[in-house]
Amino acid sequence: MSNSALRTEGLTKHFGDVVALDHLDLEVAQGEVVGYLGPNGAGKTTTIRLLLGLSLPTEGRAEIFGLDCQRQPVQTHRRLAFVAGEANLWPSLTGAETLALLGRVHGQVDEAYRDELIERFDLDPTKKVRAYSKGNHQKVILIAALMVRPDLLVLDEPTSGLDPLMEQTFRHCIHEARERGQTVFLSSHMMSEVEALCDRVGILRDGKLVEIGTLAEMRHLSALTVEARFDGAVPDLSVVPGVSAVDVNGSMVRCQVRGPIEPLVKALAAADVTDLLSREPSLEELFLARYGEDGRAG
Amino acid sequence: MPADLGIRARIKAPVRASGSPATVVTALSARKALRSGVLWGYIFGIAIASSEISYVKIYKTAAQRASLAATYGTSKAVSALFGTAPQLQTVHGFTVFKISMTLMILGAVWGLLTSTRLLRGEEDAGRWDLLLCGQTTRRGATAQTMVGLGAGLVTLWALTAIIAVLAGLESSVGIGAGPSIYFALAMVATAAMFLAVGAVTSQLAATRRRATSFGAAFLGISYGLRLIADAGMGLHGLIWTSPLGWVEELQPLTSPHPLAFVPIVAFTAILAAVAVHLAGTRDVGASIVADQTHAPARLGLLFGPTGLSIRLMRGTVIGWWVAIGLSAFIYGLIVESAGTTISGSVNEVFSKLGVTGTGPDAVLGVCFLIEAILIGFVAAGQVTAARAEEAGGTIDHFMVQPVSRAAWLGGRCLLALVVLVLSGVAAGILAWLGAATQHTGFSVASLLGAGINLVPPAIVILGIGVLTFGLRPRATSIVVYAVLGWSLLIVIVGGFGTVSHWVLDTSVFHHMASAPGVPPNWEANGIMTAVGAAAALVGGLAFRRRDLEGA
Repeated sequence: MSNSALRTEGLTKHFGDVVALDHLDLEVAQGEVVGYLGPNGAGKTTTIRLLLGLSLPTEGRAEIFGLDCQRQPVQTHRRLAFVAGEANLWPSLTGAETLALLGRVHGQVDEAYRDELIERFDLDPTKKVRAYSKGNHQKVILIAALMVRPDLLVLDEPTSGLDPLMEQTFRHCIHEARERGQTVFLSSHMMSEVEALCDRVGILRDGKLVEIGTLAEMRHLSALTVEARFDGAVPDLSVVPGVSAVDVNGSMVRCQVRGPIEPLVKALAAADVTDLLSREPSLEELFLARYGEDGRAG
Repeated sequence: MPADLGIRARIKAPVRASGSPATVVTALSARKALRSGVLWGYIFGIAIASSEISYVKIYKTAAQRASLAATYGTSKAVSALFGTAPQLQTVHGFTVFKISMTLMILGAVWGLLTSTRLLRGEEDAGRWDLLLCGQTTRRGATAQTMVGLGAGLVTLWALTAIIAVLAGLESSVGIGAGPSIYFALAMVATAAMFLAVGAVTSQLAATRRRATSFGAAFLGISYGLRLIADAGMGLHGLIWTSPLGWVEELQPLTSPHPLAFVPIVAFTAILAAVAVHLAGTRDVGASIVADQTHAPARLGLLFGPTGLSIRLMRGTVIGWWVAIGLSAFIYGLIVESAGTTISGSVNEVFSKLGVTGTGPDAVLGVCFLIEAILIGFVAAGQVTAARAEEAGGTIDHFMVQPVSRAAWLGGRCLLALVVLVLSGVAAGILAWLGAATQHTGFSVASLLGAGINLVPPAIVILGIGVLTFGLRPRATSIVVYAVLGWSLLIVIVGGFGTVSHWVLDTSVFHHMASAPGVPPNWEANGIMTAVGAAAALVGGLAFRRRDLEGA
């Protein structure tokens, strides 16, 4: 039996002449937390709507826990919960009424956990939805998703509108979900959030998955940033194999190195280095680098 | 900015946007108000023209006209419902009698809905905040919106006047351009006043729905005061306490009384000024009448999508039931007096409307036709509410849960069916109650049957709506109201007596037997129900196989 929580094969979606998603092959194992990145219009929300059965694929198929997302939406939805970036709730209901409704429709609610989440997210459930701020709208649908303890959490910009304290609370909840063995598929623009939460990251560009892997794997393929300060003359590092983007500022040199670092270390050792700093690229740098290859944003 | 982002930032000096900041809100609201002004101006104009032309075609002789005047000109019940009916022996008097109260009420509803949509509705949606970040103030934006609404009003009046003038210039009608323009002005006067009413209620209430409810309550009171004033109870002075009464006192086409414009203009101007003033005294998003922001949880109906629909729509549906039941009760009250004095020429008009029978049977047949139209609106409202859930994105909360699309739509359709059947039952039972107080002899079974007979045309409208919802969701509202509007137009034009049966057959109301004059045609009703159900089924299948679409 497959260990996949989520799997797509050649999943494609056209809107007229526009190819919103182009033959997406993606697999998320049970218990994994996977980040899904891409700029606006890259196809993230389209992917999620196809997974949820809200849109029909032009081609290909998607499965959640081995169930066909299009043919067995009800069975699929019993095992997942979804949080959208825009809450669109019913204005005349209170927070408590909204949570009760969504819980009843789903069919299983951990009531003690729901009450705990209300406390942790500092939500006033007696307030009507129309009186809530945007952040509070988001809290309602986050609590609604978490309280059913689904096997799979599908999150599309889930912290939109939350303050930094509530973002921390959200991260704790996702860590707890992972510890319980729940799978999380997280689409986000917040690189720090993805970096902090995700085991693997997929990068989408113009409807195509251009990169997927662990952060370590992605960093391995990317450049290392090295900064060095010299006491004497600054050596010409641009001739060293693998080194690029050399920037000299007085006695300070900053450069990037791809592949084996040994040639650069030898070049530095031959000079009078007083200070040396190397660091791996952040997810944001990896993302920007990936999108900068063609000199354009996706 | 990292160069490898590939974003070529081109920094230019700011360019002045076209249009003045002071007029941009006006232009925006005028654009929206103009569209509905054109549509409703056309409807107003056609209604006036059809009334004038049908009169001269049907009532050709002086004797026929005198008979009509004798029948309706002295009836207190008719006067209470439709306003006083002077000079019914002329096309002028007949046109005012037949169409003015309907247009006055439609104008008020148009003004109220347009105003609350463009003021409180925009605020509800958060777009007001964006406008207020520009070079305007809360009072300025409100005033500018009202100017835009004024543009819509002028369009409504202009189109009404043009069509009325053209119809009046027809030699057999013989109404001059001046009186037609004055009549058109009178017919849009309630629209002007209720634009201002809506502007004030938009400041008072925290939601568009509530603002509209406040305005609707005011309209109801206005109608009630006018009804009492015209009921021949010696209280005609009350006419000056009602905005609808002021319009009636303009007496267009019969004996014009332009001084009655004074309270109309004063009322509109004062309310507009009050609205602008109030807009500056409150926070954006807040209201003058305190909103209830907290409430204890009431979970009774929140068992699923259908329960939620019941909870969300119950106010609107109860409102419709009250309107249907009350009007049916009043029709029951007047049927005996109206029916026993009805002339042969009126029976001729009724028969051309598809109404069979004579006397009270015929009158009740026409009344039930009006009820059928109301129930048609209920059906249209049900299906557009379903589409609104999809357009607003709230449906997504159910579609990502273990709820199938078939279950969601099936629940909505079943609920709509129950609402329609209960509407028909309410019409039948309350018409019988009204008639019973006058000892008319109508049996409860016959009027209950006549009430249920109203449901199949509404089921066809519902079915066509669901079919459109499944195939072309964004066209749902347009198609469903077009079908209803067309059917209504055919009912009106049918009174001319010159329309081919092929055209008449395109009206859903034309296939309905004119109960209680004749027994309901259950075979035709079965076919209509089957057509509606089949259309809904196809719509449901299409809904399962399409993307959910936002607004």
